[in-house]
Amino acid sequence: MKHSKHLYFGLSRRHFIKGAAAGAAIVGAPAVLKGLTRRSKAAEKGVIRMLFTAPTMIPGDWTTFEKDTGLKMEDTVIKDDPGIFLTEVQVNDAGERFDLISTLSGTEQSLIDGGNIMQMEASAMSNWSGMPASIQSMPYLVRDLSPDAGKVWGVPMAMNADSFGYLPAKLDEPRPPEEASWSLVFESEKTMGRSSTGDNYIYLWEALAYLKNTGQLAVKDILNPSPEEAKATADFLIKRKEAGQFRLFWKIFDDQIAVMKNGEVDAIRCWEPAVNEVNKAGGDWVYATATEFYTKWMHAAYITSQVEDRGNLDEVYIALNWFLSGGYAATITPLRGYLNGRPDLAVDYANSNGMDDISATMDAAQEKMALKFAKEDFWFSAVPENLQEMQAQMDRVLNA
Amino acid sequence: MTAAAYTSNRSSGLRDFIPRLPAGVWSLSGFSLLWFGGIVLPLLAIIVVSFLQGRGLKINFDPTILQYKRFFSYGGGEMLARSVRIAGTVTMIELLLAFPFALWLAKGCKNNTVRLLTFTALTVPFFLSPAARVIVWRSVFGINGVVNQILLGVGIVDEPVLWLIFSEFSVHFGFIGAFFPTMVWPIFLSVSLIDNDFLEASGDLGASRLRTLLHIILPLALPGIVAGFVFTFIPMLGDAVVASHMGGNNVLMLAAQVQSLIGVSNFLVAAALAAVVLAIMLAFQVLLWLALKPVGGLAGVFASLRR
Repeated sequence: MKHSKHLYFGLSRRHFIKGAAAGAAIVGAPAVLKGLTRRSKAAEKGVIRMLFTAPTMIPGDWTTFEKDTGLKMEDTVIKDDPGIFLTEVQVNDAGERFDLISTLSGTEQSLIDGGNIMQMEASAMSNWSGMPASIQSMPYLVRDLSPDAGKVWGVPMAMNADSFGYLPAKLDEPRPPEEASWSLVFESEKTMGRSSTGDNYIYLWEALAYLKNTGQLAVKDILNPSPEEAKATADFLIKRKEAGQFRLFWKIFDDQIAVMKNGEVDAIRCWEPAVNEVNKAGGDWVYATATEFYTKWMHAAYITSQVEDRGNLDEVYIALNWFLSGGYAATITPLRGYLNGRPDLAVDYANSNGMDDISATMDAAQEKMALKFAKEDFWFSAVPENLQEMQAQMDRVLNA
Repeated sequence: MTAAAYTSNRSSGLRDFIPRLPAGVWSLSGFSLLWFGGIVLPLLAIIVVSFLQGRGLKINFDPTILQYKRFFSYGGGEMLARSVRIAGTVTMIELLLAFPFALWLAKGCKNNTVRLLTFTALTVPFFLSPAARVIVWRSVFGINGVVNQILLGVGIVDEPVLWLIFSEFSVHFGFIGAFFPTMVWPIFLSVSLIDNDFLEASGDLGASRLRTLLHIILPLALPGIVAGFVFTFIPMLGDAVVASHMGGNNVLMLAAQVQSLIGVSNFLVAAALAAVVLAIMLAFQVLLWLALKPVGGLAGVFASLRR
């Protein structure tokens, strides 16, 4: 039997191979070129390259930033898992490609130990000194770090006190500022089969804080739960999962919005912007004033060590100062409900730049933050001492 | 001095030390070297790392089986069994669905337009992101989705059916749609290569359609079936999208577990997991070898392609 040298549609094997090779070259060329040029691109004048671990830190677009600073911002967002972030920075040399890196506070000591970030000069940022002392001395940024405890290693970008979203009318629960209990997420009959939380160690930690604050578990140090405490919390979550409490364990921000919009859940541990997004589409969700605790967090920005040799430190400080400015405050708070380090500058900035009146929004956000940050529990760290054990226990919950 | 001798004398230096072997042998050696350096060495490194101790990026070289103990104590065994069970079940369902479809496409469909449209329909999903391919099912199977609306409207149920999404059922369903083309294509290609004369001869000799299917088509399509099995089962084991989007992380599978371990820099337990998966793959190789032994092993299966 004679073999044909042609495949279907008259395409010869030789042409097919040639075409495939050419196609691969065309498709692969940008990636190769990008790889070859990425080192030099990081030092391009007038451009700040920044690595984020949360899309919600980006103020919609960078128009205001570019107008205020005269710099261009190029952002890249990766997932906020600490392992992924630290691998990107410490193994993949993110500092070669980025001037600034930003993530949840708590990773500072690892970054300092790895020589990945530079100590900062607070005096190089004009907006630093006006920051309330309580923010300047927040855990992780400047305190208890070695060496040189008390020196500045990071700039606060945005912070919030996280709780959960729920449907007050459907569940017959009060609206904020009246308090609602985390039991709506973890063990309420009203939300049986229609509640949700996330799929990683943060959400096990919150269940632990719930157990502590409802007297169901003695916790020695909420900032660093022990493996035994993590296991007891996992046992609790497994029982609730087996009872049918949880509809799903979401993974990303978009999941939160999707299940709220689709009516899959009535109470969900989520980010505050998710509630805003769903309500824009006609939802009646509220973000809880929680009875028991809040997950207090801060995203901070750090200068990569490589900036020193690149010679663009002045521009980097201009960018950092902007994150402490009225420009960032006036965009991020109305958009996300978060506060930056200088919310006091927002109203003046908005007024002098022809923006909508945001004084009511800023007042409400600051009042809300003062109320929520007054709760004792708990300041979240991205890298607690028993991080791996906590995630392993959460995996046990997901596997149950 | 002749020209040949002159040319020969010019060869010196490094060339003298390189054995004069045929080009084919050089290609084979080159590929073997690439395969060893690119595939085997990293796998060996993973196995070695799985027996070490450490935290995050800091590793010390004291041999231990601690990472394996940890992996199994956190429910890793159940997760692996679940992953293999789901991937195995869906692969068998795919085979039952894809074989008749591929047979029709290769031998039954005479209309080139229909065939072209079918090819396109099978290819288009690959231009979408994996998440986009499955996310649409949420609005079909969700609590307020199309299926529940119909069931409620017709009066079959009084309340929405919850297990349609975020359950093992929905994970199975999501996989079936996502991996159908990977089973169809190899079977289609192997069936296409079967000479129509064989089928006609079988009929002329009095064989029924079923007998022709079992004794002519099926053995000759075996290379495609084996390839389809490999291209469907193995990527499904490593798929992180379907189980997450359709299972809502209620159904933890292999890839999600790896992501979870990497997400907290738990590289050593991740290495132990990879080593266990490797062992499972080797076990499957042995099973495949045993299963194909009656037809002359893998070489026997692919012998039909040499016709």
